[in-house]
Amino acid sequence: MSLLQINDLTIHYVTRGGTVKAVNGIDLSIEAGRTLGLVGETGAGKTTSALGILGLIPKPPGKIISGQILFEGADLLKASQGKMRMIRGNDISMIYQDPMTALNPILRVGDQISEVIIQHSGCSKAEAREKSEGMLETVGIRAERAADYPHQFSGGMKQRAVIAMALACNPKLLIADEPTTALDVTIQAQVLEMMRELKDELGSSMLLITHDLGIVAETCDDVAIMYAGEIVEIGALERIFHNPRHPYTLGLFGSIPSLDKDVRRLNPIPGLMPDPADLPSGCKFHARCAHACDDCGSGSTELCETERGHFVRCRRVAGGEI
Amino acid sequence: MGELLRAEHLKKYFKTPSGVLHAVDDISFSIDSGDTLGVVGESGCGKSTLGRVILKLIEPTDGRIIFEGRDITRVTDKENIELRRKMQIIFQDPYSSLNPRMSVMDLIADPLKTFRLQSSADRRKKVFELMDMVGLSRRFASSYPHELDGGRRQRIGVARALALEPTFIVCDEPVSALDVSIQAQILNLLQDLQEQQGLTYIFVTHDLSVVKHISTDILVMYTGIMVEKCEAKELFAKPMHPYTKGLLSAIPVPNIDRVREKVALRGELTSPVEPKPECRFVARCPFATDICRREPPTYSEVLAGHFVSCHNVREINGL
Repeated sequence: MSLLQINDLTIHYVTRGGTVKAVNGIDLSIEAGRTLGLVGETGAGKTTSALGILGLIPKPPGKIISGQILFEGADLLKASQGKMRMIRGNDISMIYQDPMTALNPILRVGDQISEVIIQHSGCSKAEAREKSEGMLETVGIRAERAADYPHQFSGGMKQRAVIAMALACNPKLLIADEPTTALDVTIQAQVLEMMRELKDELGSSMLLITHDLGIVAETCDDVAIMYAGEIVEIGALERIFHNPRHPYTLGLFGSIPSLDKDVRRLNPIPGLMPDPADLPSGCKFHARCAHACDDCGSGSTELCETERGHFVRCRRVAGGEI
Repeated sequence: MGELLRAEHLKKYFKTPSGVLHAVDDISFSIDSGDTLGVVGESGCGKSTLGRVILKLIEPTDGRIIFEGRDITRVTDKENIELRRKMQIIFQDPYSSLNPRMSVMDLIADPLKTFRLQSSADRRKKVFELMDMVGLSRRFASSYPHELDGGRRQRIGVARALALEPTFIVCDEPVSALDVSIQAQILNLLQDLQEQQGLTYIFVTHDLSVVKHISTDILVMYTGIMVEKCEAKELFAKPMHPYTKGLLSAIPVPNIDRVREKVALRGELTSPVEPKPECRFVARCPFATDICRREPPTYSEVLAGHFVSCHNVREINGL
């Protein structure tokens, strides 16, 4: 059994201006101890999916239309508020994108970490303080800095503190939403290295949300590519990187300037991501796709297994035409 | 082609309550017409300040800027404004650099209006030409910035910079706020415009793969100083300064077969406020020796056209 299994999850935001179809029937699973990279551009529905897992979609305007989120076999969508509070921060925890806003500016960093520990283990304040200092040391911050306020920390240190908080209760699943996007490259390298080590030490699984295929290559075991609220390609890291099939995935690879090869001109994907409040019919990508044929504009396109464990949502790939 | 711009020992110091901040400290380079100089470094290294000092948006503390053979370091305000016709800038954030109350037409016409160049009918024509040039559909002329996505907004920024037909543009992180597929579209646009109009760029960025793609030469900055400068290809093939090595090995590369030499950098950027007389990189350097703590290194040409500022550069690279 997978640690996390998502079936046909659909999340919409219903607003006066129309229905924003953020997540449209995604299926994915994460096995114990593995890291899944969820890749996509702004507005692809990555963060909404993550918030959906944690039961943090604001309702209204958010609405879960359908689906199941099975965590250790139990459906989180059916769990009570109280039960979710027990799970969040304990079994599943999250590292947010922006460490500058994820910490409370008027509480000491140590106290913010202790809070999670007291909430979930019910230990005394003194014990929690000791444990939170230990967590800070684990992420490479001296224990005496626990008494500092967030503004006394640099960006990299803040993100380390956020990670310490997320790992404080040895979660089984860690959701990291663009954990290093706000950091400089040399600091990013340090933080990613540390996350890898800690994850292995604790045996946690991880869902890593990112737009950076470089980070995926260095951190993940499996990859899911998201576009307009759908997963368009999913499979093991080697399969996706050695044999990307979906035209969107190929477009993403073509957009990145290479450090190894000399490419005179980049090959960007023409056009823009469709507005999730006004999605096109048929394949969501057909308007930007070089291989689209007339059929692509209508009907629905299903994920199709092109080789073992490698799924692609494209009719023309499935039909063996590309 | 000949030299368009030269900077000699440029310095910009800011007074702060905690001491003098050396934002740009003794930077020299020259750019030939039609080339692109990439300036890379992490946040707080002074790369944006350098771009602004070159354009005289900030007065340099010391040093000289020579543009088209003329010293422009100390010129009158009036001359300064005239210079802006030739020297332009594209800003990082297409969300905050455009006035939200002006339409696309007004935004692009704005520089033309400032210099009272054309009649309003001619200006309109010119704006449409510019919109075509940057790949912005004419139907957006009466739209406002909030109605457009980041990529289109950045195209407005490019059109504004091009309106006065400059020869030189500072691109200050022009693609950092954009998604990769849109980033690639803007990079291609900037390259096409450079070829068509013989533009010269200073391209300021923290993204090494972008800078490699677009630059002729690259200058690496660290807390206000230049640590390494050479041709773009050479920098990636033969990085010599320990910081450059660390920076290059820290980039996550979307290639799972590549085995790279890893130079892990400890710690974080040191403060450029009242720097001590030592190498500014010493606290993070895996190769630091005694001399690095005693005096700052001088900037020297280690190989032809390859400048490095490091005491131990020869030992580290086995030269």
